[in-house]
Amino acid sequence: MQIKYITPQSNWQDRLEQNGFGYHTDEHNTPYWVEDYYYSISESFADEIYAATADLWEMCLKAVDHVITNKLYDQFQIPLFFHEHIERSWENDELSIYGRFDFVYDTVERQLKVLEFNADTPTSLYETGVVQWQWMNTYFGNSKDQFNSVHDRLIETWKEAKAHLKGSTLHFSCMRETLEDLTNIEYLRDCAIQAGIQTKLIYIDDIGWDGETFTDLEDEMITDIFKLYPWEWLIYERFALHIPNDMAQAQWIEPSWKMILSNKAILPILWELYPNHPLLLESYFDEPKGMQNFVKKPLLSREGANVTLYINNQIVEATKGDYGDEGYICQALANLPNEGKGYFILGSWLIGQEPCGITFRESDKRITTDKSRFVPHIIE
Amino acid sequence: MKKSSKAVSLVLITATLASCSKPTETKEEQQRVFMRADSSAPYTEVTDQYQQQRNSGGGMGMGSALLWYMAFRPMMGGGMGYTSPGISPQSNVGTNTSKADAYKKQTARGGFGNTAKNNTVSS
Repeated sequence: MQIKYITPQSNWQDRLEQNGFGYHTDEHNTPYWVEDYYYSISESFADEIYAATADLWEMCLKAVDHVITNKLYDQFQIPLFFHEHIERSWENDELSIYGRFDFVYDTVERQLKVLEFNADTPTSLYETGVVQWQWMNTYFGNSKDQFNSVHDRLIETWKEAKAHLKGSTLHFSCMRETLEDLTNIEYLRDCAIQAGIQTKLIYIDDIGWDGETFTDLEDEMITDIFKLYPWEWLIYERFALHIPNDMAQAQWIEPSWKMILSNKAILPILWELYPNHPLLLESYFDEPKGMQNFVKKPLLSREGANVTLYINNQIVEATKGDYGDEGYICQALANLPNEGKGYFILGSWLIGQEPCGITFRESDKRITTDKSRFVPHIIE
Repeated sequence: MKKSSKAVSLVLITATLASCSKPTETKEEQQRVFMRADSSAPYTEVTDQYQQQRNSGGGMGMGSALLWYMAFRPMMGGGMGYTSPGISPQSNVGTNTSKADAYKKQTARGGFGNTAKNNTVSS
């Protein structure tokens, strides 16, 4: 793995915008998208990421089964009224489209280690599947390769999903006035349209309840809905009780059992089920249990919020936020790689249950946040 | 699946956004834009509003995004369907009875989305 530089086009921002990528630079003019360098990786490293992702997915499915069978919902802070919905979605094998494992490559152990699984609302999908691919096509044409069949895999997965939809229209929903979420949801919808599915977009706060079923703004009953909106938010909102009582039993995608995997409580559960597994970092609920170098993370934090990093039991880095009331886990601190431009982690996409693409995110600090840069990669 | 996609084509995103960063045309060259919110409704010309949005966006970063928002978002909620205050009521509803019924029906909305006001979804 090494960083390589290219000479960027003078109008590269225009190219990105013309291709629908409007958040390449933040409001403080700090670049989110990196155009002028990339991570060069070997074919064998891509193989390693693929295998790690596939193995972890199998482990995660077994962990979900363990949690449901033993009703460990309290450890995940999942309220009682929703347990049955989770179990039903698991037993019915309801549609799951995607997820993204975040890995670190531990420089001492020379081993991929999973940091967490973004199983419910992973973003940066458009950057990975489209923008990163177009970047390669712009600078290298067909002469290079990427670990990136995200686009093909999304269309294929929607084609497979079509037969399992309950109704004729698949609704897509996200919160309004968030360009990143809108771009991601519209990309998913784009691929669904290409797979022959009839779709509608509805903002999450526009969803209606007519007393029996959820409806869209044209009062069409919602039978299947892909939401880019976290389950742990939905189940504490005013319409939450309608979800299990919905006469149409709308199919929510990602399914509610994904709440278990997107919750950091799954990390100590995995460690308990697979102790000392090379892909895992030692993890426990609440306490470090003797670890000196560890990271304390809230069960439900997003974008690296409320994360505290300890070295020799002393706080060396911490982020702010509104999470933590739900409880914490402590995870061993990995030896983070840094090739000179910042600490980086690897996002590995699983679409339709198959590993199919990667994402490099780079930060000036050890904790990855929403300020982390997206860096493209090339296999060579 | 470790290889890259051979081709990446989009039907939804590119078609909408590509038009946002074209240079401003003169009045004579302007493309006239008509909108309606229902297939049974007559069109309203919205060329001026459309050009105003394009010019304020100017093809620059988040400006382009603004137009994209305008193209997709419902301008009014409350059972009116996807409508726009920028076009006439006839162009919003037309003869679509289900949409007209939506004016009358008392469906509750806004029961989801409140947590989002203080947080980011991205993960």
